[in-house]
Amino acid sequence: MRLLIVEDDAPLASGLRRILEAEGHAVDVTSRGEQAVLAASQERFDLVILDIGLPQIDGFEVLRRLRAQPRQASGPLPVLVLTARDAVDDRVRGLDLGADDYMVKPFAMPELTARVRALLRRSQAHGGPRIVHGPLTLDTVARRAFLRSEPLELAAREWAVLEVLLGRVEKIVSKESIIQAVAGWGDELSPNAIEVYVSRLRSKLEPAGIKIRTVRGFGYMLEEYKEES
Amino acid sequence: MPARSLRAHLLRLLLPPIAALLVLGALVAYYPSIEPATRAYDQALVDVGISLGSYLRAGSDGYRVELPVAVDQVLRRDAYDKVYYRVLGPDGEQIAGDRGLPEPDAPPESSTSYNTVYEGQKVRAVAIPAKCGLSLCRVVVAETMVKRNRLARDILVSTLLPEMLIAFATLVIVWFGVKRGLGPLARLSDEIKARSPGDLRSIDAAGTPEETRPLVSALNDLLGQLSQASSHQQRFLADAAHQLRTPLAGLRAHTELALAKPLPEPARSELEQVHAATIRTARLANQLLALARAEPGARGDAAPVDLKGLVEAEADAWVHQALARDVDLGFDLAPAPVHGDPFLLREALANLVHNGIEYTPRGGRVTVRTGESGGQPFVEVEDDGPGIPPAERERVLERFYRVPGTPGTGSGLGLAIVREIAAGHGASMVIGEGAGEKGCRVAITFPRG
Repeated sequence: MRLLIVEDDAPLASGLRRILEAEGHAVDVTSRGEQAVLAASQERFDLVILDIGLPQIDGFEVLRRLRAQPRQASGPLPVLVLTARDAVDDRVRGLDLGADDYMVKPFAMPELTARVRALLRRSQAHGGPRIVHGPLTLDTVARRAFLRSEPLELAAREWAVLEVLLGRVEKIVSKESIIQAVAGWGDELSPNAIEVYVSRLRSKLEPAGIKIRTVRGFGYMLEEYKEES
Repeated sequence: MPARSLRAHLLRLLLPPIAALLVLGALVAYYPSIEPATRAYDQALVDVGISLGSYLRAGSDGYRVELPVAVDQVLRRDAYDKVYYRVLGPDGEQIAGDRGLPEPDAPPESSTSYNTVYEGQKVRAVAIPAKCGLSLCRVVVAETMVKRNRLARDILVSTLLPEMLIAFATLVIVWFGVKRGLGPLARLSDEIKARSPGDLRSIDAAGTPEETRPLVSALNDLLGQLSQASSHQQRFLADAAHQLRTPLAGLRAHTELALAKPLPEPARSELEQVHAATIRTARLANQLLALARAEPGARGDAAPVDLKGLVEAEADAWVHQALARDVDLGFDLAPAPVHGDPFLLREALANLVHNGIEYTPRGGRVTVRTGESGGQPFVEVEDDGPGIPPAERERVLERFYRVPGTPGTGSGLGLAIVREIAAGHGASMVIGEGAGEKGCRVAITFPRG
């Protein structure tokens, strides 16, 4: 994947570049907002990591100009905003302007790489009909699931719950938001029903090493797939 | 200096002059009315003397008074007072009547009235000259003071009573008048009291009386300066956060990059120390900034905040922290609407959750609850770690204090920050035991919405 880092602090920018290159991405770095806007208009990037505290035009303005550009054919360009400020307003403003995710400095590198992966996966899911998670593959067009290339039987509601979890790997998802995403108009779905679907999904997926963690009193988290050693 | 009540002060100032005016008024009313009454009573005595004089006869053996008993009785008769008389000859010799009734200092040319004492009583007397043959004899008539004193008392009462009523009415008018007069000041103070600490808008001078305008404009000047100072501080804090966090992010990135590579042993553990110190420094910077922001005057505007939503927004980050330490972080969330600064409330919750995760052994449980109890919104964090001994519960709220023997590398600022933020929101903070008298439970209860 091709990533653009917009960060004026040279040590942080070089650290980010090396970490993301180690993940196998092609990384460009700029310290100036104008250059970032220009680069994004001329070349194709899969993700932008954008610092808010830039000299001259700040990150908010860069974000606004990026969003004003014509959309790429493969869908909107994901933007991960970095900020050193903690005002809630900044977060709201960033997300309002169309940032896809938000991280407050300083952050742990594994968290950054996990979020980058999640954003890339999400943007690809927009484009392609297939969702891949370790040995699991969901063909969203044919509505067929495969586990280690074997067809996997999933009820409609199980499929819907799994799709929600797959869209937010390594993020906790509340039962309420699963209900909202899964239940159609006029459907009554209780939190207990969600528990039932999740436990059925677990019995089907856990043998293949795919783990759904319960967050007590909150919801679930689909863990990132780790190759069993 | 004790607070001085303007009302009491005014009353203290007004009481002595009012009392003096009362006395003066009584005197001014008393003397003009007692004078004619005294003259009228004296005249009655003079009349008795003249009547007595008409009974004076000059004979060959001297003067005598031929007073029939009936007349004597009539002359001496009086409803209240005893009447005395005495008739003296031209040379002062006793002719008739009460011997020893004192005469005036000088023989009277005409009728003279005077006060004297007879038989141990105060008496009012008149002395009048009376013809006896070719000479002038003297007649003295006196009476005790009962009816005169009674008259004086009546006059005094009838003038003092209305005066006292007027004085009392004046005091009542002052008491309530001061309250009414100070009404605009009371409204001003209510308006200022109703403000949140961060509300530094100018006070509207319209509708305040002219006399309070200088006060209002002085307050507005002060508020203006404060609000400028506060926005300077906010800007400074935001800049400081940026200046600290960006290099820390770089430092953390590079140490994590280095640690991802194979390293010889002493270098690895040293680098791990650097990494831990970087994380601690970042946290300390956050806490110091939170503490600075929690200072009154630096606070942002209060807004309606649901603690449940606040926890939900942070839950993801906290769960990952907990997983990294193999702690089961759970939730029990019901709506808990409060009014406050979202940044500070988030920081307070983050500190409580961080403490729970930090001080609970691997495999432990930490639970975050929000909700309303008896109409009061609350948030609490409970863990099943070692807990805080009762004797230490007060001290852990002090800045930089850490319970002796505590593992980990906390700064000792967390609970001090939480307490500061709770106090700033009018909330109370209680440290107790967790369920089954195990672990630690910190609850923050907010005032009723």
